[in-house]
Amino acid sequence: MQPALRLGLIIGSAVLGLFLPFLLGGTPAIYSAAVLIAIFAVMAYGLDTIVSDLGEVSLAHTVFFAIGAYATALLSTGLGIGPLATLAGTIVAALLAAGVLGLVTLRLREFVFSLVTYAVAVVAITVAANWSFLGGSDGLRGIPAFELFGYEAQGDARLWPVAYALLLVTLYLMRSFRRSRLGLAAIMVHLNPRLATMSGIDPQKTRLQVFLFSAPITASAGWLYAYQRAYVSADLLETYFLILMLTAVVLIGRRVLLGPLIGVAIVQIQEKFFSFGGYVDKIILGSVLILVLAYLPGGLVGLFQALREAGRRVRERDEPVIPAHTQTECTRKAGP
Amino acid sequence: MNLTQQLVNGLVLGHAYALIAIGWTVLLGVARLVNFGHGQMYMLGAFVTWYSVSRLGLPYVVAVPVAMLAGVAIGYVMQRVMLQLTLRQDLVSIMIVTLGFGYVLHGAAGLVFGSTGQILETPLSVIDIYWGDLWFTWQDVAIIIVAILFFALLKFVIERTGIGRTARMVAEDPALALLAGIDVKKVYLGVFAFEGAAVALAAAMVAPRTPILTSMGFDEVIVTFVVVVLGGIGSITGSYLAGLALGLFTAFFGALVSPAYTTAAAFAVLIAVLVLRPGGFAAAPGSR
Amino acid sequence: MSTILEARDLVVGYGGNRALALPHLSVGRGELVGVVGANGAGKSTLVNSLLGWSRGRPRITGRVSLGGEDVSRLPSFERVRKGLLLIPEGKLVFGTMSVEDNLLAVGTGALGQGRRAYTVDEIYDLFPRLKERRGHLGGQLSGGERQMLGIARALRLGPSALLLDEPSIGLAPRLVSTVLATVKQLAASGLAVLLVEQNVRAAIEVVDRLVLLERGSIVTEGPAAAMRDDPRIAEAYLGAHAA
Repeated sequence: MQPALRLGLIIGSAVLGLFLPFLLGGTPAIYSAAVLIAIFAVMAYGLDTIVSDLGEVSLAHTVFFAIGAYATALLSTGLGIGPLATLAGTIVAALLAAGVLGLVTLRLREFVFSLVTYAVAVVAITVAANWSFLGGSDGLRGIPAFELFGYEAQGDARLWPVAYALLLVTLYLMRSFRRSRLGLAAIMVHLNPRLATMSGIDPQKTRLQVFLFSAPITASAGWLYAYQRAYVSADLLETYFLILMLTAVVLIGRRVLLGPLIGVAIVQIQEKFFSFGGYVDKIILGSVLILVLAYLPGGLVGLFQALREAGRRVRERDEPVIPAHTQTECTRKAGP
Repeated sequence: MNLTQQLVNGLVLGHAYALIAIGWTVLLGVARLVNFGHGQMYMLGAFVTWYSVSRLGLPYVVAVPVAMLAGVAIGYVMQRVMLQLTLRQDLVSIMIVTLGFGYVLHGAAGLVFGSTGQILETPLSVIDIYWGDLWFTWQDVAIIIVAILFFALLKFVIERTGIGRTARMVAEDPALALLAGIDVKKVYLGVFAFEGAAVALAAAMVAPRTPILTSMGFDEVIVTFVVVVLGGIGSITGSYLAGLALGLFTAFFGALVSPAYTTAAAFAVLIAVLVLRPGGFAAAPGSR
Repeated sequence: MSTILEARDLVVGYGGNRALALPHLSVGRGELVGVVGANGAGKSTLVNSLLGWSRGRPRITGRVSLGGEDVSRLPSFERVRKGLLLIPEGKLVFGTMSVEDNLLAVGTGALGQGRRAYTVDEIYDLFPRLKERRGHLGGQLSGGERQMLGIARALRLGPSALLLDEPSIGLAPRLVSTVLATVKQLAASGLAVLLVEQNVRAAIEVVDRLVLLERGSIVTEGPAAAMRDDPRIAEAYLGAHAA
């Protein structure tokens, strides 16, 4: 496809996306859902780089999300500064936290890394619920409305363009990341750490860098969420957000650019419009996550590809078989 | 602060922690697997016990095996679903799947048992013992006895019996164990069922000490994690001692500094250990 | 001579590629068959697929029978219990367990059809070196001793057919002949033995029959004596092969 045509299509879809909630009815419920989908999708994209590209599991991204929200709340109520400044503060705070966490876990094996991130999240809940500086169990209230250059985003319909802009920026960042050297290094470390090392890549440094890249993204989702909800509390650290992120990342397929966005959309639409009650929704969400990982490792995209492959094999069966050249043996017996 | 009282508290707590962590010790040591649904399985064990005792009217002695059976069933189902992942040693997916299971258990428990806190009362927990200045209950004594018995039994089985040897084979090299005629799938299913039973037993014993909620379980995972890391992967004696150490630390920290931040403090200790002496937890050079 | 191990139309494919395509292969009681070929020829794929075991996820089709019984549908560990044993290349022993524990560490199953499982004492008689080192950990053994232990463990399972994947790798030449002599002895005692070897020169001294694999297919096969003179073998391997 010609680059000019492609660019035109992308811009066209982007513009269409902006008006999508309006086209779907423009009710407050729809705008609210749209804003949340955008925010949670951005949150999920941060985790996406770690899970899909690097191939590890960080369970601390809820903490970055909360850091974004809390930083925004503290800065906007305490210092009275505007959204761009709070965003900057959010990014700095996220980088600091990710840096500390990344350095501490630098030399640990991948599953210990995951355990530690999980523990960080649990401890963060305790801290957030008990520390009066963070509002304790009541949280922080009174976050002012989002106001930028005179545009006041009161209510979801007016916040939507901001959320959408954040989403587009995130998508652009993801795309750039995947084409960058760091993105490539991440994949190599994911697929074959030893080979990556022998190609001059430091797996541990790569992990740290990807971590540092991913944290601010998730934190920026927290930043906007603070404005949307107008208050923050320890419930931001609930497992729900983690499960939502993970499901969104794996449901459609790994390393599909729009995957997390579609995944988040599906889950949110189910919860907002087809809910069966809080507990049953939990069961549904958890079950989807389990089923995808256990039986559909490639996500829905993978399922589609498998079906296509099966169809192709059925057609090939009737064609004459030519003995193929043998490739190098794929069997490896030296241990699991 | 009464020093000996805290010592007693610490000992009881330590045995409780060791008991809670025992399932993970075996899981990690034998199958090199993790279970992030551990905390929720603990919660469910507590609630099944509570339900059996207060709603079904079963005697406590019967409720404990009932809870363990529930644990076995859950553990078995979990492993059955993720068996392919286990055989492929896809640790990342296993972590997320067990996390998902924990979440499902949380939702199911909320649906069945509601969201109000309950107190699990047992014939043992209501009997106080006063010994000089010290106070504890028969439940606490039971925790210590059960923990010690369980650890001793486990150590014996792992080191001296055929089952233990089979488990050690699979732990070291599942492929080689397969070539020696071991049904590796059955071993994995068995290990997970054991984890279910162990965590349910721990819950039935330890949960009477505090009110239980369907949203609980996270602290137990941290505790378990700390115990297993400090004790060394797969070391049964190590887990026991680490549990005791953590129990004593928690008791004294809670009394001297602040009860709310004990988990955070334990975690900080853990991080210190991991950073300064990663040992078996460090990535091999050239890998992750 | 009765056939113990037989494979028909054994095909192993990865995606669209065929790693192995074997119309027929059989090994009889007391027979020692050698399989040779260059790297990538499919030798390891062959022994792995006979056991239904593999790394990666290939599609394996064809019929494998042991002692006349079709085992193609059985999972690997059950084929092992029926007497089809593989001594793999590489990791042979449980390094963290003692020699004695390694010998005790076998999954038991009912033995039938004249199979004989060696007791631990019989193993120690056969391999006195292992008796000397019985308390040592598997990881502390030398290469030759590990090979011995690997074979010993297989004997503990009472095999009727034994598959060996490159037992001579990493061993000094003197040890190579010892190991292969042991393998010859095992065949003589009634087992059907399939020996995959890269060391053609050593293999051809002990085997009854030789099979040459190339790119997943049998190029030539026949009695060892005849193969010695086969120009393909001589030119490709014996000529360029340094002792």
